[in-house]
This record gives sequence, structure tokens and C-alpha cells, in this order.
Amino acid sequence: MSQLQEVLVSLVRRGWPDAEVLAKRGRSRRLELTAVTETSTFTQEQAWAVRAGHHRGSFFTAGTGEPRPDGPWPEPSGRALRLPQPVPVPVWNEPSDFDAPLIGEREGLKLLEAIGKELASELPKARLLQAALEDGSSEGELANSRGLRAHTRSRIATLYLEAAGPGRPAPTASLYLTAREARKFHPPALARRLADRLAVTAQGGPPQHETGEILLAPAVAARLLCGLLPLLVGPKAATAMGGLRDHRGRIGSPHLTLVDNGRLPGGAFEAGVDGEGMPTREVLLIDQGFFRQPLLTWWQAETVPGVPSGCTRRAGWRDLPAPGPTHLYLKPDPKTSVLALLGAVTQGYYLIDATGGARFDFAESTFALPVCGFAVESGRATAPIAGAWLCGKISTLLQNITGVGRDLAFHALNGMIGSPTLLVTGLEMRRG
Amino acid sequence: MPFSELDTAAVARTLSQIAEQPEDVVDAFFERKEEIELPPEDEGPGLRVWREEGFAIRLVREGKTWLATRDAVESRPFAEALRQVARAMPSATYPEPALHTSPPAPPAAPELLDFPGAVTRAVRNHHVGFPVRLTVRRHRRWIQVVGPRLVPGPESEVFYSVAAEMSWGRYGALFARLDNAAAELTAAAIVALFRARLAAPPPPFQGVAVLGSPAVAVLLHEAVAHALEADVLAQGGNLEAAVGVAMASPSLHVLDDPGAAPEGVRRTTDDEGSPVFRRWLLRGGIVEQPLADALWAHTSPVLVPGAGRRGTRHLPPAPRSSHLELLPGETEDADLLAGDEPGSPALYLPEASRGSLHPLSGEFSLHLPFARRLRNGNLTETVGPCILRGRIADLLTRVVAVGRTSVAAGAGWCAKGGQKVPVWATAPMLRLEGVTVTPDGTPA
Repeated sequence: MSQLQEVLVSLVRRGWPDAEVLAKRGRSRRLELTAVTETSTFTQEQAWAVRAGHHRGSFFTAGTGEPRPDGPWPEPSGRALRLPQPVPVPVWNEPSDFDAPLIGEREGLKLLEAIGKELASELPKARLLQAALEDGSSEGELANSRGLRAHTRSRIATLYLEAAGPGRPAPTASLYLTAREARKFHPPALARRLADRLAVTAQGGPPQHETGEILLAPAVAARLLCGLLPLLVGPKAATAMGGLRDHRGRIGSPHLTLVDNGRLPGGAFEAGVDGEGMPTREVLLIDQGFFRQPLLTWWQAETVPGVPSGCTRRAGWRDLPAPGPTHLYLKPDPKTSVLALLGAVTQGYYLIDATGGARFDFAESTFALPVCGFAVESGRATAPIAGAWLCGKISTLLQNITGVGRDLAFHALNGMIGSPTLLVTGLEMRRG
Repeated sequence: MPFSELDTAAVARTLSQIAEQPEDVVDAFFERKEEIELPPEDEGPGLRVWREEGFAIRLVREGKTWLATRDAVESRPFAEALRQVARAMPSATYPEPALHTSPPAPPAAPELLDFPGAVTRAVRNHHVGFPVRLTVRRHRRWIQVVGPRLVPGPESEVFYSVAAEMSWGRYGALFARLDNAAAELTAAAIVALFRARLAAPPPPFQGVAVLGSPAVAVLLHEAVAHALEADVLAQGGNLEAAVGVAMASPSLHVLDDPGAAPEGVRRTTDDEGSPVFRRWLLRGGIVEQPLADALWAHTSPVLVPGAGRRGTRHLPPAPRSSHLELLPGETEDADLLAGDEPGSPALYLPEASRGSLHPLSGEFSLHLPFARRLRNGNLTETVGPCILRGRIADLLTRVVAVGRTSVAAGAGWCAKGGQKVPVWATAPMLRLEGVTVTPDGTPA
């Protein structure tokens, strides 16, 4: 009998018929550079998590090492636990890069140094304040007392960069990126992005016009999508979305198609099953402006219309399973380049990044997002913009998307949220 | 103590193999953590327990750090981690040290169960009632640091965190004890948020701001402690140049003293095993002793270790404050609130929800969920969310009076560098003049 099975049997024998055991192992390498220090960390983790209970209550307990059949366990309390029944899992082939070795110490440090050098050549006197690269892999086994068994593997790399530009006080900018493997980070492109941010922050002024056509780079559009998640995830989403329908029943422009896909090829969270062992799948949430269904887990789909998808996330062994997006993205238009969208702007703004968190007021149906970028006239950037807020009605944001680029990019926000560049009208730019 | 059976002498001998150079810093950090959480009533599963134990081996040489960590306190993983950290294989090897820890006790935290009821009763005593989702958690940690030459004593911590979610806002706090006083403090804070929920933010103004002790605690943490951490100072260039700089009003004397922290979180050594001491960050407003850990203390003779903290064994330590103290002044609280000139704006800022410091520009902001207007020394109407802003060098010189009543000013989480550690403070009230307060919200 396997270790997981022994623990399950022991829990059931104690009078807790609903029981689930997760065992997980992982290894990661973390490399960090600052102006003065260099750190190399190698971590091996081994841990487990148990949920169990009966109709009168339940508990969650997690720890390092291997789970022991004799616990010790706390007494169940609070709400009862519901666990999924096993269902057939469509075939899913593990991507080959799951087997790629973790980045080496020297290789990783060279990558970070290369970003620093590229940054200094893009913007003289700019420097990295901190660069932290983490590359890790993990595998897990999941079993529950209803007969569900699942095996999971994942591979993920993250990169945090913080840079200072020239001048006093020095402007600063930061990036946080996720990829499946550390070798996929591209130093020249990252350095250019940082240099653009630093230059705009240093030289940017407040917006001169309140309105115009506004081009949202993927980093800005993804932040806005992330703020809209209460309208897209869970059983209450359909009701919340109802107020945004126009007379044709549309909640958004024909350019707006939103998808969540836990099996997205190449995605950072690509997996055959979710954190409860349920199969992942592609779900169409909004189709050319028409709301189809919210993102639902197996238990949420029992209460509202819509097909369930494996969207119960479990970031680590310490985390309780919770519903949320996997790879949620706005479908790109493969025929439209960013240059073509920029050329369509006669007077407006090209917003390249968000400089803080978005604020959404669903009662008032409004949003505001601090942004930076460029003023644009006749398709050309005329002046850098900083300290500005992009504001407007949520309905305007969704209904007035007039163009979608092909440059889909994902950002690690609440799950992986992706968007291409979007051209939107009817929004406002305000001084911060 | 889980590490009482650990053969620290054998661990020290093993570590000595990789300390090849006299300046090398080598240590093993053993950690056991336990967190027990009582979630809100409407959330399952019921009691939640997290238990972990493991170790980290570290070598610091010439500004470079190598760290290897494992999730088990056992001989073989220890030997593997040691090999990963070693820069050269030793010519003669000691046998793997035998590592034993005591088994954990059955998980139980009965004190958590009574707390939500105590808060509900305390809220009712304020003659209001509203739904609150309350999460209460007990945090326990035991650590043992072992170096090749010195083995400090084991350390342990126990404290509680409380998070309250209401439809109009959130409140969070840390407590050394989960008693009636903690319930009353929680209730008073969420009732104040309830009463301020519809208040409009104040228009931007420059004038008088009187900070309550909890707001002073956040101000000290962001504007003094973070600003004087060795790694933050190094971002700006020469960190030694900070010592002796007049950074604040002469009435400000600020210390970090982990040995005077509330019982349960009081320390004699830091997370690197260095002894802690009463560290004068500011004496008469002048920078005296920045916060440093062993790595940074090696870079400069003016830095003294003893402020190395780590939120997890999986990351190296970093300089951080533990328990900040602002020494009391001579002004009565009533006098701090008085003295506003007719027509000139003045606010009392009782609590801060968060603060931030830009290390290069020195731009500082303190977010206040609500405030009270001051008129003729009296607290009058409530105003909504606002931000106290300024450059720290300017802001701290605008302190004109320090209260004479110093109190435990609450505590909170600091998550700098992804390492979440609890921070504590003891402080009186402060009066600042000529400071800028702006509304906190989206632009009009």
C-alpha cells in the first residue's frame, strides 16, 4: 500500500469519510544580484497536505516531510468538506521542457549580468538595483477517499528586476515575469522594457488631453482584465455581468473574446488536472462580446449554468485549494500588428505600463489605473506621460475595444492573465 | 524545545570544514514553525494547521552568499546541503552529524476558539453591530543557529495575528497575547472604521498633523527603520556616510531593541545567532547605528550585526528591525492636540493602514484609513482616507513635539524582499507641523 493510501485508510478509519492527501516534492535554484551582493540558493522541499472531515465539520493540515498515518490530526470543526468524484481525464501529454534541467548557477548569474549590461547600453547610467531569478520544478501525488488519484508535474521560472535610471532623484522601475523555464527570458528585450519605463518615468509629464484613442500595451490590458475577475469567476459572476449588457445582449465589443485554458500549450501553469485532480480544459467565457458563462469549478457548476473546468488552484502545499483563473486571456487577432494599431491613433495615448494597482468600483461600474506611456499624434509618439490615471466606465472599456493586436503576453497576476495590445476609445486620462 | 536533542557540537564541527577563510561566515539555521488558524465561520475547512521544519546551511565569502535548504532535519540531507554550499571539498571529512528533534505535540489552540465571540461582545459594547469575517491565527517558531565556533542558545516566538474583513474595509493586527485587551483593541479599531466608512477624504492641505501611537509605529518602521537598513542605504551609494547625518528633529530618539519586545517575541539573539542590543537608530535626530546583519557588518567597520532576520529558512537573512522604540518626550497628549491656529487645518491621524518609502528619492507616504479634524484642541468630525506625504529628511524634521505617554503601539507584518516578519513598536504620540496631507483615492 502506498504512503498516501495508508494515510487515507487511517483517516477514514478514524471516522472521517471525506479525506484527501497531497504529497509534493520540489527543487529550485534562486540567484540574486544587487549592486553589492550575490546570492545563490538551492532548495529542496518535501511536504504534504491533508483535508478531512465528516458531515459535521472538517480540518486542513499541512507539513514538511512525509505524511504519517497517525497524524497527529486536529478535530474537525466548522463546515463540512466536499471532495470531487473521479471523472475521466482527457489525454494530456507532458511538455518535453518539464524535463529540462534547472538553470545552473553560472548560467543564471550570466543571464542576470547580461540584463544589467544590456540595460546600461540601452540607457547610459541606468543600473539594476536588484535582479532575482528563480527556476523550479515540482511533482505531486493526490488521492482522495472517493477514489480520485492524480499525478502532477510543473515547471516554472520567475524573474524580478528593479532598476534605477540616471539623474537625481533616480527614477526606478520594476518588472516581475514568469516563464516555464529560466532560459526563456531574453535579456535585450527585458532591458529595453526597463529602459523605456525609466525614460518615461524620468521625463514624463501629465496628460494634456483628457480623451482620445488609447492604445493599451499587454501589461496595462492584463491589469485591467485582472481587475475584472469578479465579473468572470464564480457563480455570482453571471449576475454581476448582467448589468453590463446592451440592448443587443452584448457586454463587450465584437473584438472581445475571453478564454480560460488550463492546458494552454507553453503556459506557465499548463497541466492536465487542477489542484483537486479535476481535468483542466478550455472554456469560452466571452465570445465576440457575448457573455457565455463564468469560470466555474465542479462544485460551483452544480449551482449555476455553465460547464465546469479544472480551475481549482493550489499554488503550493501550504495553500488551500481555491477557484481562480489558470491562463485567462483575451484572444489576439493574428492579422493585426501593434504598429498598425499605433498608426490608427490620430490623437491619443500609447500606455506602456501600469505603475500601480487598479481600483475597480463595481457598484459605480468605474475603474482607475495609474499608468505611464506616450502621447501620440498621427501614429507617432510625441511626449512621454507619467503620473497619469486611466479612468472610465467598465462598460466603456468592454464595449469600445476597436482593435486587438497579435502580441499576446501573459502576466503573473491572479493566475496568468494575458492580453494583446488593445485599442480603446471613450476612456479618460487624468492627472495623478 | 524541538532542538534540545540536536548535537550542536557535531554540527559545528561539520560546518568548520567549509569555513576555509578567516572572514567566512558559515552557519546552520534550524527552524520549526507551527501556525494554527481559525477561519471565519462561513469558511471551510474548520481548524487549519501548518507545521514545518527544516534547515539552511549558509556560506558568505567576499559579498557572495551560498545557501542550501532542506525540509527535513536529518543527517543525509544535511551532508548533501553542506556539499552544495562548500566551495571546495575538504581534505578530511567529519562524519555526518546525527540530527534528532523532538516530535511535535498534538495540534491544539483552544484560546483561538473564544476570540471571535469576545470581539463580537466588545463591538456590541460600542453600541453598534455589523457582520465581520474574523480570521485568528497563532504563530509559533523555534530556531537554533549553529556556527563553526559559537552556538548561541535556542530562541522561540509565539504571537497571534487577527484579520477582520468588513464590507467597507479590512483591519489587521498582531498581538503578543490573545486576551480581552486584544479583543477590545480589535473591536475599537473596526468600530472606528465602521463609523468612518462614509466620510469623505479631506481636501489636500499643508498644516498640523498629530499622529496617534499606532500611526507613529508605522511612520517609524517605514521612515526610520527601513531607511536605516544597511541594504537600503547601500542602494544610495556610500552607506557609511549616513552615520552622523541629522535626519530628524532633535526631539526624536529612536531605538531598535528586540530584547524589550513584548513577552513571547522577546529575543536575546537574532536569526543569525548574533546577540541583540539596544541599537540607537536616531539619537537626537542624528543617525547613530544603522541596522545590519553579519553580511553587511563585514562590509564596514561602522556596522554591527544583531539585526539579521529571516522570514523563512529558504531565503538568506537581511537587516530588519524587530521592536522599535520612540523615547517619550515631555508634552502632554492634550497639549499635542491643542495649539491649532483658527482657520488653519489640523488633523489627528490615529491609525495608519500602511506606509511606503522610495529608497532612492526618499519619498515617503503614510496611508491613513480615516482621520479626525482638530479644532481648538478638540477632536471633531471624521474625514475619510488620506495620505501623509513627504521626503523623509524633511518630514522628520517637522516633528515639533513628542508625547510623554509611551504605549505598546501595535505591530504588523513587514514583507520587504518577500520575507514576511512581524515587527513591534512602543511609541508616544507625535505632533508635526507644516506637513502635506492629500486625499487617498482616484483623481477627481
